[in-house]
Amino acid sequence: MSRDRLRTIAVRGIQVRVSLRPGRGRLADAPPLLLCNGIGASLEALQPLVDALDPDRGVIRFDVPGVGGSPAPPFPYSMAALSSWVTALVARLGHREFDVLGLSWGGALAQQLALQSRRRVRRVVLVATGTGSLMVPAHPQVLAKMLTPRRHRDPAYARSIAAEIYGGTMRDDPEAGARLLHATTRSGPKRGYYYQLAATTGWSSLPFLPLLAQPTLVLGGDDDPIVPLVNARMIARLVPRARLHVYRGGHLGILTEARDLAPVIERFLTDVPDQTE
Amino acid sequence: MSAATTPASEQADGRMREADDTADGTDSAAPLDLLLGDAARSPLRRFVPGMSGVRFTTHLARRPGKVAGRTKDLAVELARVGAGRSELAPHEKDRRFSDEGWAKNPMLRRTLQTYLAVGETARGLVQDAELDWGDDQRIGFIVDNLVEASAPSNNPFLNPKVLKRIVDTGGGNLVEGGRRFVRDFASAPRVPSMVEPDAFEVGTDIAVTPGAVVLRTDMFELIQYTPQTPKVRTVPLLIVPPTINKYYVIDLAAERSLVEHLVANGQQVYCISWRNPDARHADWGVDSYGQAILEAMTAAQKIARADQVALFGICSGGMLSSMVMGHLAATGELDRVAAFSLAVTVLDQEQAGLPSALLSRKAAAASVKASQEKGYLDGRSLAEVFAWLRPNDLIWNYWVNNYLLGHAPKAFDILYWNADPVRMTAAMHRDFMELAISNGLTRPDGARMLGSDVDLGKVDTDSYVVAGIADHLCKWESCYRTTQLLGGRSKFVLSTSGHIASMVNPPGNPKASFQTADRNPADSQAWLAAASKVKGSWWDDYVGWLAERTGPERNKPRRLGSAAYEPVCDAPGTYVLDR
Repeated sequence: MSRDRLRTIAVRGIQVRVSLRPGRGRLADAPPLLLCNGIGASLEALQPLVDALDPDRGVIRFDVPGVGGSPAPPFPYSMAALSSWVTALVARLGHREFDVLGLSWGGALAQQLALQSRRRVRRVVLVATGTGSLMVPAHPQVLAKMLTPRRHRDPAYARSIAAEIYGGTMRDDPEAGARLLHATTRSGPKRGYYYQLAATTGWSSLPFLPLLAQPTLVLGGDDDPIVPLVNARMIARLVPRARLHVYRGGHLGILTEARDLAPVIERFLTDVPDQTE
Repeated sequence: MSAATTPASEQADGRMREADDTADGTDSAAPLDLLLGDAARSPLRRFVPGMSGVRFTTHLARRPGKVAGRTKDLAVELARVGAGRSELAPHEKDRRFSDEGWAKNPMLRRTLQTYLAVGETARGLVQDAELDWGDDQRIGFIVDNLVEASAPSNNPFLNPKVLKRIVDTGGGNLVEGGRRFVRDFASAPRVPSMVEPDAFEVGTDIAVTPGAVVLRTDMFELIQYTPQTPKVRTVPLLIVPPTINKYYVIDLAAERSLVEHLVANGQQVYCISWRNPDARHADWGVDSYGQAILEAMTAAQKIARADQVALFGICSGGMLSSMVMGHLAATGELDRVAAFSLAVTVLDQEQAGLPSALLSRKAAAASVKASQEKGYLDGRSLAEVFAWLRPNDLIWNYWVNNYLLGHAPKAFDILYWNADPVRMTAAMHRDFMELAISNGLTRPDGARMLGSDVDLGKVDTDSYVVAGIADHLCKWESCYRTTQLLGGRSKFVLSTSGHIASMVNPPGNPKASFQTADRNPADSQAWLAAASKVKGSWWDDYVGWLAERTGPERNKPRRLGSAAYEPVCDAPGTYVLDR
């Protein structure tokens, strides 16, 4: 039986489906790694990454309200409000300090968390993500496809566009994209997806990146149609304690090539703080 | 209660009594045809009288004498109220007017008496019109709703409790109430919330009977509960819960769990936990669900290494199970089922209660179309429809408590369960609707399941049929007709309380009782006349009935699942958590 435990809890009156894998062994007391997912995807989509991480590492995953198995909140929210709520969620689960990994949309949330909860967020991993509305944008055709949650709801459609929007190995195997988004995932109401889009409208991390104090690992793929690689380079240059890792692959490389990339993340997380530049 | 009761059981008893008190208020699992009605559209449609209104007016116009009489009576009564000599008083159990201010303050007393007099006249006029059954239910529904909405207790400037609280809190209650109002009405269901979102946590304080998920398919998780007795019955019991609410109504808090009770009495219990479907699953229809039940039966049989299972269907799960039974009868496999049980399930939709009176063929078609466009029927819009069926208990009660008094609603497990609905796929919605309109389960060739005609008369398995006497959604008389449809020997048990409270009926409640009879005459009233009252909960009676049919005892299995069905995760599983 798997070690992950799914629960539905309420934080500040908002219900959320969370999955917890407690840390054990030498990582039993290490801060857990909070995973912030891409837009519209439920926590099941992150399974390949979780499986590739150190089995002793504690991992927290959650469905953003309105996505996957979490009900939609009554009102749209801002990145700042979501970030404060996520900090309350982690505290509610009994952790004072945590590391955060954000993928794509979740990367925006991770940057906001790093700024807003600087004493609680220990280390930051930003994967295939940008700086919000002030970033080097994707090709308009790709952006248009990101504007609706259809790829999460319609497997045939996901198959047909996976290569174009996700790039990397999906170009040879679009079936993998459809599988990733459908095999085990849950699909929330459309409203939840639009809330997520709305939260990033007008949001940008560009002004505050130089203020981030945490050691930060920035991962970018060389064939990412959604978030062109130049964004990763830009973040890495602006965050004082950042290091950049460029990998061969597309937007979802962290999931499709988890075996290769998880060790990079592990090395970064287990590094003693003094060694980071 | 004796003085020797332990605090724990006292608490359970308190909850139980609360369950009794709020029984009517919490009855909201779905009768089939209600789903069908306008849940996919707006519940406000219910309030448009349409042709029923026209017939109401014309019927009244033909009885001018009666109308004049009513008007005169009302005028006389109002004159008495004005003079302060009226004897009108609310029903003593009517909690809306329990505050003594209603009786002591002359202004409030007159307001209340005027309200009672006018309401009585309005309801009387509906009676006078002598409409046929459908129109009568429909107009009665609208009039009741209007009367209940206009109760002075709903008005913050008239309700003495609210006025006192405004003074006590300096108006803070209205601020808090306003905050709650905005939160509740910002998203569906647009009705007052009956429970706080963090009142309970599934798997921590409800749905806690130990077990494991031994099979996970796209559609359901099959939970096998851990045996708690050294010996268990040979034949496993498979529970098929409703498809429109989470399964854990049968596994609420400790000491209120039917599953726990069955396991503690030596049954091997398996339960289906349906997935909360989304737009991607729009084409799961009655056949898909029937196939899922067969799959779960096979798994339970293989894990328990038994040739048979006992099947127990609840509400819409009961309808599906009945159709599966029809399919098994048609294919000659009925001997797979050792015993068949149904709780609060209506198979014969003829005059099945208020909901069916409100359903018209046209409304049904429009509703199916709406759900088809979306891919599913949202459980939260169902919740709205249910709430408006019993507005006094489900709307106005919480209107006063949450918004006017600014209180948080009480933590109550049934209400938490009630606020945790499951979506219904478009195909299922369509299939159920067709079934309700054609009333196909009452005829040998009226419905099909997995390619077989469903003839319930050919289902000759022994059956145990439970209904609640105060069930407003699945009227017990309608449930009773099941005994006439099934071909085998039926035991009909009439529990106290309504739809859900009749199900959640743990032993130990001194007030618990049920009725049962040796024979099942065609007429439900004749049955009731012949029935005798038994003290205690039907749960114990059911355990006895089931034990006679689930084979000899044998040693409990050493572990859950089997080599072919490795446990996936602990109960309550993951599907139950999807909102």
